Amino acid sequence: MSLRSKPIDRRRFLRGLGVGLALPALECMGEAASPKKRMLVISNNLGVLPKPFFPTEAGAAYALSPYLNELSEFRDRFTVFSGLSHPAVVGGHSTENCFLTAAKDPTGSGFRNSISLDQFAVEHLGQKTRFPTLNLGVNIDKANRSLSWTRDGALLPAEDRPSALFRRMFVQGDAAEVEKRLHRLEEQGSILDAVTEDMRSFSKRLGAGDRERLDQYFTSVRELEQRLETAGEWERRPKPETDREPPEDIPDKARFFEKFELMLGMAQLALESDSTRIVTLMVDAFATPVFEIGEDERSHTGYHNLSHHGQVEKSVAQLERVDFRQMRLLRQLLEGLAAKDGLLESTMVLYGSNMGDANTHENTNLPILLAGGGFRHGQHLAFDRDRNTPLCNLFVSILQNLGVETDEFGSSESRLTGFERA
Amino acid sequence: MTLAALVLLGSPVFGLLENHCFECHDELTAKGELDLSSLDFSLSETWIKIHDRVESGEMPPPDKATNFSPADRQLLVSELGGLLAKLDRADIAENGRAPIRRLTREEYQNNLRDLLGLPNLDVRDRLPEDRSSHGYTKSAETLDISRVQLAAYLDAAEAALREAAKTASPPKPTKSRAIGKDLFSSLTTFGGREAMFFAKEGKIVSVKADDEPDPEIELAIFRSATWPYFGYPRGFRAKHDGEYRVRFSARAVRQVRDFRLVPAHKPLAMTFRARQPSGPDVSGDVRSTGGWIDVLPEPQIFETTILLKAGETFEYSLLGLPVPHPITSHGGPLYYDFPPMPEGGHRGVAIQWLEVEGPLAPPPAHELLFGQGASEDPGKLFRRFAKLAARGPIPDEAADRFLELISAELREGTEFKEAMIKGYLAFLCSGHFLYLESSDTASRLSHFLWNSRPDELLRSFDEMLDDPRFGRFVRNFTDEWLDLRQLRRDLPDIRLYPEYRKDDYLVESMERETRTFFEAMIRENIPVATLVDSDFVFANDKLASHYDLPPVAGSAMRKVELPDWSPYGGLLTQASILKITSNGTTTSPVIRGAWVMEKLLGDPPPPPPKSVPAIEPDLRGATTIRQLLAQHTADESCANCHARFDPVGFALENFDIMGAWRDRYRSLEKGEKITGIDRAGHAFEFRVGDSISSGGQLLSGEEFADVHELKTVLVAKPRQLARNLLHQFTLYGTGAPVRFSDRPEIEAILDACEPDGFRVRDLLKAFVESSIFLDS
Repeated sequence: MSLRSKPIDRRRFLRGLGVGLALPALECMGEAASPKKRMLVISNNLGVLPKPFFPTEAGAAYALSPYLNELSEFRDRFTVFSGLSHPAVVGGHSTENCFLTAAKDPTGSGFRNSISLDQFAVEHLGQKTRFPTLNLGVNIDKANRSLSWTRDGALLPAEDRPSALFRRMFVQGDAAEVEKRLHRLEEQGSILDAVTEDMRSFSKRLGAGDRERLDQYFTSVRELEQRLETAGEWERRPKPETDREPPEDIPDKARFFEKFELMLGMAQLALESDSTRIVTLMVDAFATPVFEIGEDERSHTGYHNLSHHGQVEKSVAQLERVDFRQMRLLRQLLEGLAAKDGLLESTMVLYGSNMGDANTHENTNLPILLAGGGFRHGQHLAFDRDRNTPLCNLFVSILQNLGVETDEFGSSESRLTGFERA
Repeated sequence: MTLAALVLLGSPVFGLLENHCFECHDELTAKGELDLSSLDFSLSETWIKIHDRVESGEMPPPDKATNFSPADRQLLVSELGGLLAKLDRADIAENGRAPIRRLTREEYQNNLRDLLGLPNLDVRDRLPEDRSSHGYTKSAETLDISRVQLAAYLDAAEAALREAAKTASPPKPTKSRAIGKDLFSSLTTFGGREAMFFAKEGKIVSVKADDEPDPEIELAIFRSATWPYFGYPRGFRAKHDGEYRVRFSARAVRQVRDFRLVPAHKPLAMTFRARQPSGPDVSGDVRSTGGWIDVLPEPQIFETTILLKAGETFEYSLLGLPVPHPITSHGGPLYYDFPPMPEGGHRGVAIQWLEVEGPLAPPPAHELLFGQGASEDPGKLFRRFAKLAARGPIPDEAADRFLELISAELREGTEFKEAMIKGYLAFLCSGHFLYLESSDTASRLSHFLWNSRPDELLRSFDEMLDDPRFGRFVRNFTDEWLDLRQLRRDLPDIRLYPEYRKDDYLVESMERETRTFFEAMIRENIPVATLVDSDFVFANDKLASHYDLPPVAGSAMRKVELPDWSPYGGLLTQASILKITSNGTTTSPVIRGAWVMEKLLGDPPPPPPKSVPAIEPDLRGATTIRQLLAQHTADESCANCHARFDPVGFALENFDIMGAWRDRYRSLEKGEKITGIDRAGHAFEFRVGDSISSGGQLLSGEEFADVHELKTVLVAKPRQLARNLLHQFTLYGTGAPVRFSDRPEIEAILDACEPDGFRVRDLLKAFVESSIFLDS
């Protein structure tokens, strides 16, 4: 029990006054004039109530829905989408791991996931920041859920401790420690060389199926080698400075919103300090027990149970308050990014869910909203609710905006029509 | 191959399906999204399901099967089964039962512990958690490896090797003894005098900071360690990581009026908690250590071993005492009101003296790595290590590759030990160590029964069970099979259940009960039906009272016979299971029912229907849980599955979120208001509403009125219970589910075990001797 946990100064934190702008010279890593683009994906695996989320009219003249009204000050800086989903990504709650991968049929036997949007982007963009991506989680079942997946379908575990994240981003250690870490990276490099070679002869003794399984090992070695190399370069550079106090972790899952807010703050800090340009954040509502909604309100059952509201008024009303609070967190985030020169203009903030309607386990008509990032916003882009457009079309638009030269990702058909850069 | 192609093979399957099944399952109707006319014939779940449904008589539906004779059914089942088994066997022959798999992180740590001889090595948390599939982290299909995993291996293996290297020059142990006022690190604590005082001849004495410690003075404490503030001996701090021996003299007491100590009526359990002594904030790393010790009314000397990290101390932790809320008023400092005095006085412990000695000499793990030091031949040392680490000999060329790494370091002038460590580190991240090779039976057996590497002796099954390492099977298997590792997932909602607030002792006792029970099922070779209904429970003082049994003394789990009326006995009414299947606030018949069906009867719920549009549940107006769930049976597509498990869950509705018996539901909104003061002294208010109805009917037809009758129904299915246990062993032991072609062997094992009532140890033994296990 902590007797002296400090209340977080929310304003100061989310306004992001914390990060010193004396950033290290990052530009020498092979990106000259191209404008930096960033991406932050936030996904709550139980989604939101569809009715108060989706606007009724389409186009630029649409009236804000009750939820979107919370973001009214940003009306011209976000787009809300309807009629998007991943084809064949069905099966209720099993779909959360496919939100950024679109891998089909997650409940089928022998299912294997595929590469996620963030990892795909890094493969193409290279590692331009200290952390190629950050993969965060709130209340997350780290063993089994993640938004980030490797090309061969291995889960990349989310970081759920703000304190550890803070250390990695801002705490450098003295010269001796840096030297020690560099030496260690070098050692690890030569060890990886030895084990790869050894694994080649090891795998020759095995059958075809087993050899295929070992491909993951080779990929891992290759990727780790690349990362150790850049890690070494980054180790030599000073870390950015911040006057933000190191955060204290909140272990209690019931303090869901405090944890969510703290993690959003960390995501913002990561973008502001250019520690990374790609952040994913899974809000594991499914793993959230009875939780605090407001000063005097606790959910009357666990989040998952609550989401199966069965139209019971009491449950719907409570869920609405939960969703509203989420939308307000989102507004705080956008305010924080907007307050930093141009950060919202360079950052695509994608808020969405794998769940179209948790009450019915519906995985179509996903709630999707994208703010910032230099798109022409201010509209409700409505697609056919009965025959959804692939969400991956939007992912292609996002990738292109990040500077990835691709015209396909996952189940995409094209880039998303009607969604253009400003 | 297409289904029609079967005709060419002379199989009657196509004809039978065409005549009796296409009516509903062709491209036009395709009921249940199944179109047999275009379904390729292969070894798929769909075809196995078709086989099973026909075999069970579920398909074709009785009303449609008027001209489907029993002979037709038999022919279709045997022909289809034969084809599938043939395909399955061919697949196993080609690809193995499951692909090669890496160690789980639990196995990785155990392998290192056993290899290096460091029983307390702690590197598990440096590795990412493993995913689980079918409930098991040992499932080959999800034991992936990524760059994150690999980086973590580099880190964990290095930490382990450094730990082992340290044992070459172990720190000298020191000994300190605390008496009198030095038994506590401050003169007062939260809770005031009632929580802690010093006493002489059974009466409170006042002690000042500069008093000399007085051997006649006892420390008397009456609170658990979860109240913060300095509950540890004065001045002690571990200088090094390691084991420390603690000896102390103590007696169980009662604090009666005016801070007087009188002997207790019964023992009081205590333990120690390792923690930093830095301050009141114990949010950091705090771990129970030293086991449970029952302190008796007469003073007695106790000895235990505790595990500390450098810089830590250890605090006294009395188990099972109430913990009050911290109180603040107007931003002032925190305080606690001490709980009201129970009849007979506050329970506590008086300590006369305490000695701590350590760190105890660690096992000489360095010898394996470095022998006598720099004079050793690196090649010889490395080969010895590699053979042990790889659980068998490795090819010379492989050893040479790692040796080259060592030689290169030595050539550059790196110190001998550092050079060796580099070679070892590489090896511990290589396939030889990380992957379990399917050809190695001894290793498969030891990873099954010990969750770790085999040792050099060839062990019989009985010897392996008698080994302390078998405890890892009991722990790990119950963690995965029964979800026991989820036990602490949800905290009880104290608005509804004030009696459970901060009752760690209850939760810990639940866990021990289930593990003890399962271990006894094996060690005593008890018939499998006892898993669902036993005429005994394993209980200690806490659980006996939780289960409304006559009181027993002390914290140790012992077999307690149940009176006839007791609803307890068997896994499905154990407090641990009932807690895991609730969310801390409410219980759900769906979750509990599905748990019983999946974990005990081997009939897991299929994934929710993919049909579009999904059903929109409308629960408005439903006031009872029965009404809420009525829709599950009203709608056909829901009922298909929910009728399998909801009823079972209803029989368990009589157990609250922690497994205590209840006749009515508690809530905050409706029912009769109940107010009172809990044992920690806080006012509570909740309501007691609807009474519970627990009757139901299984899909197979059997009816029951309550949990007693449900158990009677389940006890009558010993073969199904035993079959399920074999399936669970298969998942855990081979990393893959039972295959279609394994079924005859499973049934043969069951036949052999049937005369003795499917005893659990017999089942386990038959499994490890089966080709399902041995040829995997």
